[in-house]
Amino acid sequence: MLGFVIQRLLQAFVVMLVISMLVFTGVYAVGNPIDVLISPDATQLIREQTIRAYGLDQPLWKQYLDFLGRLVRADFGRSFIFNMPVLDLIFSRLPATLELTLAAVLGATLLGVPLGMYAGYRPDGVAAKTIMAFSILGFSVPTFWIGLVLIFTFAVSLGWLPAGGRGATSTLFGVQWSFLTGDGLTHLLLPALNLSLFKFAMMVRLARAGTREIMLTDTVKFARAAGESEWTILSRHVLRLIAIPIVTVFGLEFGSTLAFAVVTETIFSWPGVGKLIIDSISTLDRPVMVAYLMLVAFFFIAINFTVDIAYAALDPRLRTRKAS
Amino acid sequence: MSALLEVSGLTTRFSTRAGVLNAVEDVSFTVDAGEIVGLVGESGSGKSVTGFSILGLIDPPGRIVSGSVKLDGRELVGLDHGALRSMRGREIAMVFQDPSATLNPVLTIGAQMQLAIAAHEKLSEQAAVARCVEVLNTVGIPDAAARIRAYPHQFSGGMRQRVAIAIALLNRPKLIICDEPTTALDVSIQAQILTEMKSLAARLGTAMIWISHDLATVSSVASRILVMYAGRLIESGPIADVLRTPRHPYTLGLLNSLPGIAEPGQDLVQIRGAMPSLIALPPGCAFQPRCGFARAECATRPELTVSGARGLRCHFPLAEAAE
Ligand SMILES: Nc1ncnc2c1ncn2[C@@H]1O[C@H](COP(=O)(O)OP(=O)(O)OP(=O)(O)O)[C@@H](O)[C@H]1O
Ligand SMILES: [Mg+2]
Repeated sequence: MLGFVIQRLLQAFVVMLVISMLVFTGVYAVGNPIDVLISPDATQLIREQTIRAYGLDQPLWKQYLDFLGRLVRADFGRSFIFNMPVLDLIFSRLPATLELTLAAVLGATLLGVPLGMYAGYRPDGVAAKTIMAFSILGFSVPTFWIGLVLIFTFAVSLGWLPAGGRGATSTLFGVQWSFLTGDGLTHLLLPALNLSLFKFAMMVRLARAGTREIMLTDTVKFARAAGESEWTILSRHVLRLIAIPIVTVFGLEFGSTLAFAVVTETIFSWPGVGKLIIDSISTLDRPVMVAYLMLVAFFFIAINFTVDIAYAALDPRLRTRKAS
Repeated sequence: MSALLEVSGLTTRFSTRAGVLNAVEDVSFTVDAGEIVGLVGESGSGKSVTGFSILGLIDPPGRIVSGSVKLDGRELVGLDHGALRSMRGREIAMVFQDPSATLNPVLTIGAQMQLAIAAHEKLSEQAAVARCVEVLNTVGIPDAAARIRAYPHQFSGGMRQRVAIAIALLNRPKLIICDEPTTALDVSIQAQILTEMKSLAARLGTAMIWISHDLATVSSVASRILVMYAGRLIESGPIADVLRTPRHPYTLGLLNSLPGIAEPGQDLVQIRGAMPSLIALPPGCAFQPRCGFARAECATRPELTVSGARGLRCHFPLAEAAE
């Protein structure tokens, strides 16, 4: 187990190094931030001073090495636009995205898995057909369109829920969270619903396919022959057997939503990292882009690692074989 | 004394897209308490469906359309789901062919055994563990107290099947339906488990229906034999009698294709042709197209006739002289 962890940490280090290189060159190729940074009527002298101050006169490899040097001290540089440390900037926005993502992915899983299992257990029933029709909708209608429809229906026409923003927040662990206040929750509801529809559809499909397959196996026949109830069979046998693909998709969806909740955050003016990265691209705020993309890579590595550990917990066959 | 299990006129029908078929048709037999009855027939002859019908485990598109299954005089066909569920495992249990497919790979065997116990009675954790260990000892699993924390993949094939048998024994059923429980195992382990099951049944007084396509296996455990062909019971009787003087041409064919029974050096005799599709059975005797003794009368369906301990479904039973 310890060997496994060390091996994975080394792997992660190499991957992060390669990613940093790719990201740095990629962002360099996007455009020159000088035109954004300096007003067109600045003097030539000020212009050159600014360029030197940001190190933009150096060749790419030199800029990259400087960047790595600062990275060792956990210094990602300062944002060109906000003029504050990039890490502080990102971490001030991250909780908003984190709670939105968690609400969406957890909601989709907690609702999608039981409904999907039911649809797989009684595939020919009216309820199953309704659930599946709904999940096709979740797959095929674009997120931004559903977001607009939600705002139009619940915020504009009915006036039940706010159309955007985080609402009131409350502090926990020194961070502002919306889900801790009633007002914050009402603000969270629509964007979380919007983000979760696609994931819900995916969880339904996954749980349904797995349940259908497992209900036909001898494991289920044998449990039935022993007199176990259908509820026991679903909750103790089937759920455990379909947990592995569900955990995988949960992890991947969690990571990708954390990184790319851009569309929903923009529609609902949710002040998360998704909006931050879009703004930083349009203003060519290089340090923010680089730090953000590296953070995303780091999230994925961390999530993959967690998922692998969860596998071993869920599937005894993957653990090292004990005696006999 | 009336029999423990009394099956009469059992017919189980599947309505599939390809057509309607009777996987089990008009099957009648009895099993006495503590008795081991062998059920033989080639693949697709309806042995497993017979077992599942007795347990009330036929899923759509299948359905028991007629007949009755009585356990200790109580009718099982038509019982509601709850009553059937509480009968399963507690009165009649079943063991399947492949233990690596029947046991749940992600639960410890202790957890699986406890689920089977909890289905029927509320025991304290301690009492349940004690019962598991006791039954695992009974089926010959060494170091059972430690092994209940192991997962199925940590056992060998033979040990895994013993675990499955232990689960079937947990609630002390009166009857265990064994659906080819040794077919997936090594030959040496097959013989071992066969002998142990036989003595286990004798010791615990548990009756068994031993399903197999292998006449030799059945003859080493069972005292009585039932031969099925195309969903119908075609011959039954005490095993020694049936082996010595088979009356149905199909049974004779099965016997002649056994290596141990043909004269040494002689070619094994095969039954010619293959079992017809159940969807398009010939009218009359189902075996008639493959039968060397068939005559015009065989186009009408023979009824099951019983004389003494033996039953037969044939217009022209083989004479004793066929020996
Ligand atoms: N779910 C089902 N749907 C349709 N037909 C079925 C179904 N289950 C069984 N049958 C039919 O019932 C017949 C008997 O099947 P069964 O499994 O009882 O055979 P068997 O004697 O146990 O054979 P084997 O030795 O291969 O296990 C088969 O020919 C099959 O076509
Ligand atoms: Mg079978």
